[in-house]
Amino acid sequence: MTDSTPHGMHEGPAVGQDEWVARHAERRIMPSGPLGTIEDRIRRVPWWAWLILFLAAASTLPAFSSSGYVRYVAFSTVLYMLLALGLNVVVGWGGLLDLGFVAFYGIGAYAYAILDSDKFGIHLPTLVSLPLIVVVGAIVGFLLGLPSRRLTGDYLAIVTLFFLQLFQTITTNGDDAFGHNVTGGPNGILRIDPFHLGKHDLVVQHQGIFAVSYFYVALAFFAVVFVALRFVNQSRTGRAWRSQREDPLAAEAMGMPVNWLKLMSFSFGAAVAALTGTLFAAQAASVFPLTFYFVLLIIVYTMVILGGSGSQAGVVAGALIVSPLLELLRDPGKSRVIFFVGLVGGLLLMSRRSRALGMVAIATLAFGFAVHETLGAIDKSWIAGEHQGGFAGVTDHWVVAPAHLARWIAPTSYIGLIAVVLLVTLVRGRTRLVLLVPTLYLAAFVWENVMLAKPEPARYIVLGVILIALMILRPNGLLGERRVEIV
Amino acid sequence: MDTFLQLTVDALTLGSVYALIALGYTLVYGVLKLLNFAHGDVFMVGSFIGFGVLQLLGGTSKPVVPVWLLLVLMVLAAMVGCAVLGVVIERFAYRPLRDAPRIAPLISALGVSFFLANSMQLLFGATPRNYNIFDLANASLYTNGFNIGNVHVALLRIITVVSAFVLMVLLWLLVNRTRTGKAMRATSYDREAAAMMGIDIDKVIVFTFVLGSALAGAGGVLQSLRVPTTVAIGFVVGLKGFTAAVIGGIGSIPGAMAGGLILGFAESFSQGYISTKWSDLIVFSILIAFMIFRPQGLLGRADIRKV
Amino acid sequence: MKKAIGLALAVLAMSVVATSAQGSNRITAASAAGVNCKSTITLPLVTPVTGGAGFLGAEQGSWAKYAVQTLAKPLGLKVKFVLGDTPVEQGPAPAQALAQKYVADKSVLVVLGPSTSGAVAASSSTYYAAKIAHISPSATRTSLTQGSPKEATPAFFRVVPGDYIQGPSDANYMQNVLHVKRVVLMDFQEPYSVGLSDAVEAVLKKGGVATTRLSAPNTTTDYSAYVTKVPSDADIVFFPTQKPGDAQTFAQQLIEQGKKAKVFGGDGSNDPSAFKQPGSYVSNFAPDITGIAADKALIAGWKKANPGKAVGSFGPPSYGAAQVALNAIALSCKAGHGTTTRQAVLQTIKKVKIKNWILGGSLRWSTKSNDPLNAKFYIFQIQANGSYKLVG
Repeated sequence: MTDSTPHGMHEGPAVGQDEWVARHAERRIMPSGPLGTIEDRIRRVPWWAWLILFLAAASTLPAFSSSGYVRYVAFSTVLYMLLALGLNVVVGWGGLLDLGFVAFYGIGAYAYAILDSDKFGIHLPTLVSLPLIVVVGAIVGFLLGLPSRRLTGDYLAIVTLFFLQLFQTITTNGDDAFGHNVTGGPNGILRIDPFHLGKHDLVVQHQGIFAVSYFYVALAFFAVVFVALRFVNQSRTGRAWRSQREDPLAAEAMGMPVNWLKLMSFSFGAAVAALTGTLFAAQAASVFPLTFYFVLLIIVYTMVILGGSGSQAGVVAGALIVSPLLELLRDPGKSRVIFFVGLVGGLLLMSRRSRALGMVAIATLAFGFAVHETLGAIDKSWIAGEHQGGFAGVTDHWVVAPAHLARWIAPTSYIGLIAVVLLVTLVRGRTRLVLLVPTLYLAAFVWENVMLAKPEPARYIVLGVILIALMILRPNGLLGERRVEIV
Repeated sequence: MDTFLQLTVDALTLGSVYALIALGYTLVYGVLKLLNFAHGDVFMVGSFIGFGVLQLLGGTSKPVVPVWLLLVLMVLAAMVGCAVLGVVIERFAYRPLRDAPRIAPLISALGVSFFLANSMQLLFGATPRNYNIFDLANASLYTNGFNIGNVHVALLRIITVVSAFVLMVLLWLLVNRTRTGKAMRATSYDREAAAMMGIDIDKVIVFTFVLGSALAGAGGVLQSLRVPTTVAIGFVVGLKGFTAAVIGGIGSIPGAMAGGLILGFAESFSQGYISTKWSDLIVFSILIAFMIFRPQGLLGRADIRKV
Repeated sequence: MKKAIGLALAVLAMSVVATSAQGSNRITAASAAGVNCKSTITLPLVTPVTGGAGFLGAEQGSWAKYAVQTLAKPLGLKVKFVLGDTPVEQGPAPAQALAQKYVADKSVLVVLGPSTSGAVAASSSTYYAAKIAHISPSATRTSLTQGSPKEATPAFFRVVPGDYIQGPSDANYMQNVLHVKRVVLMDFQEPYSVGLSDAVEAVLKKGGVATTRLSAPNTTTDYSAYVTKVPSDADIVFFPTQKPGDAQTFAQQLIEQGKKAKVFGGDGSNDPSAFKQPGSYVSNFAPDITGIAADKALIAGWKKANPGKAVGSFGPPSYGAAQVALNAIALSCKAGHGTTTRQAVLQTIKKVKIKNWILGGSLRWSTKSNDPLNAKFYIFQIQANGSYKLVG
């Protein structure tokens, strides 16, 4: 609808389409020139073309790497994408802060474990148990949503958080529920059946190496869920969700069944999570309580917020970024690479806005070398530390890496870094640029010496920082739309 | 009867610490309408500050100051440290989001909580820290005290409960008898009206965070006097503190105190009489029941939203 | 548009990093592929390095590393030692991911660990399918190698006795030496303590001892309510925690409430710096190795490489596990004339006999299972000065 027919004599939108919605695109300001044309063309590519392109690209991944590990990480990423899609329904479309989301994931996994394993001797055919579990997930989601009728955002968050804790308690203690071992307790449930079609088992491993067939099954699930949710969002339910999310009071006044909508969003999100749970349980062949807990919740939330809650493509992108990032950050060598690439890339990206940042990059480099040489001249052991992997050969000449770290250095430098970073956010203009130089260098120092020594908490610190920074700087994430809450 | 008395003693000890945490939640929620998820982790940082001070002053085997001064210094240091931490968190993680949709500061709080817990783990490791107060002054803090029948009430527990109550009374005085306290109460009723009355909202909010976080820090030290602390306790402690705040009525100070004690009793007695395994479940069920049937808690006001 | 560009850049950067930082990954049937014994072999240790059980990883890592440093060269091997982190808070997922990683890495022939029984249960089938032997220095859960169905596979070995020995051993000591009449057993709703308490309870019940069972969530720090439930006539509280500080707290709270029961900890509570309440008991799968004459040089060497650290009790078995692994690789290399495969190493493990075993005596494998033969548990009592004295 971007043609230039005279006002008042336009064709009109297709039957059944809302005009205001259809003319949505017109209200954007278009850049001109070749970039504008490209942007325009890209914008016109239909969503299903993007999806097919993505699926095609993803399917070729196993051709690039026959490593079971890489394929396994890819499979986990697809699982995360599914979870992100599910959470997007509740948080992005329904506007409800559901902190118990991963409990549905766990319910799906445990349900599959109970229905398809040696635990109780039940071995339902996959084609029966999968839909059953999706329905069970939807019902439990519905039940959890019931308190939402009377509770506002923060209270609902707490109730859902308690539900998560409840799930954890039940699964951990379920090995002694009135004398019956239902959930296996802390030992979990083992030897879960893989997916099977009739007599044909979808084997989980070949000689211990992850079977790539599960990756394709996951992609198929992903495609189905993506398309299904998209259709739901385009329907009147989706529009009702949007109106209820933007202004619940007005929506209710307009006659929308607000409560019913909230329950629906809980249900849909839970159903998706339960489906993902079955996939997880089948591949892992075992389930344990601790997998479905707070850490996983924060990870999925980071993906959704980073990608942009409310946008399906956004949350998928968020999962695509965060999941491999987390995996890569486990290894000090790769973490180093990520840090420096991220630093340089970030500065470059932002230097489009201000030439000064390019200067900052150069200044930091010079500053770093100066400090490195000075300290090296004072005492060789202060820079004698050697690290492996990544760019270590290069960065060891720039970052100060002592051979032995005195105990007070780690906490002092870490807290110092936080203080300086916060200070940088407080000042403006030239002071900020000048202050940025030692800050960046200190950040490199802390990363190299403190955080790479313990990759596990360091990964999560990165996530936490991403969450906080996102909410403050860009709450709509990468592809989401800025929301204004009408109070 | 002995079991009953013992469980009551336990309940009071537990409950006073829960009340301190609940007060922090309630204060912040009253003024900002924000659930500060990071509060439990501030508690945890307080317990570590206390540990650090303890080690600095010679540890429990060779303290360089008298026992009472040692305890006071630990609590004070934790209160000051946590107050600073609370102010920093508010200034950088919550203030920019004051006009954002309600979801934003909640998620930011989640991020802060995650960040704090993992930062402490990065810096100090995950091994539990035990104050080892038992070694102090030949276990006199444990063996002294008084007896009710067959039940021994250790001096340490008395100190915990009394300190908590003293702090709560101080807080109540601060909130109800000073001008800043009045400003706080005004802000919690209606922030815009208070601003129009000339109250500096930023100052009031900072003051609230100082109070709440200081109480959390004190709670952290008081709890760690008896049990070891780790970097991971923040989450569960936060949940319990929040439960107490809601049961008592969020936004109400006496409510938080009552809620803390009730929670302490509920936990202690359900562990003692019903089952240790399912006591968590029972406590959560109580909470959920409250939230569904009486969301304003025992002493809170029913929230009337003006359209 | 900017968003899309930024997004594309981000994803592109990620993939560049990922692929550039990866080695080459051409793998054929890895288990049958021959590995040149002159090339660098990777020996991973899968253990909790961070998280609540991080002390385990720190101890085991330092001893295993020392073993590689001192034993690899004399055996003619070039070995790279790496740590794989399985924080206990994250359940089994890290163990499964690491299993995939090491299966895909051609230079891995044997894996040390996983150290936690839960991680073994989750990843043993993966290692077995790839014919990788995994030798654990601390996974003691009975159901891993006993009973039916076994949770671990025939590729799983452990160099310490399982809980099925610790349980009866502790229970027998309580019955026969301490002559207990009433015992309270605690568990913490996680596999290690539940299994151990179950084992002890079974033996005690058969011996006619009155038992009470209490169960606390794993996150408990304040045990007051549980102490209250300890009957005043109980002699022993069996407290198989993996956090020695909790055992200390419990013992102190028992004294505070005037109960006469003494705390009896499992091998998880073995830490003289954290659990030192006089009169309490601790059981462990090794005597204090500083008392074994044959280990003196070894301990001195380790102390020099790790200044200021205590010897600990979880570390030495990792040395032993690494020793077994290295010897198995060397033996199979000799038999294969310079090349070996994972399968060959797996089959050689049980042929390894070690004369001066670091835990005392010599190491021989049981013929019935992959556990050591004639392994026993040792019981210590904590003295007034906090030291551990061997009593059983």
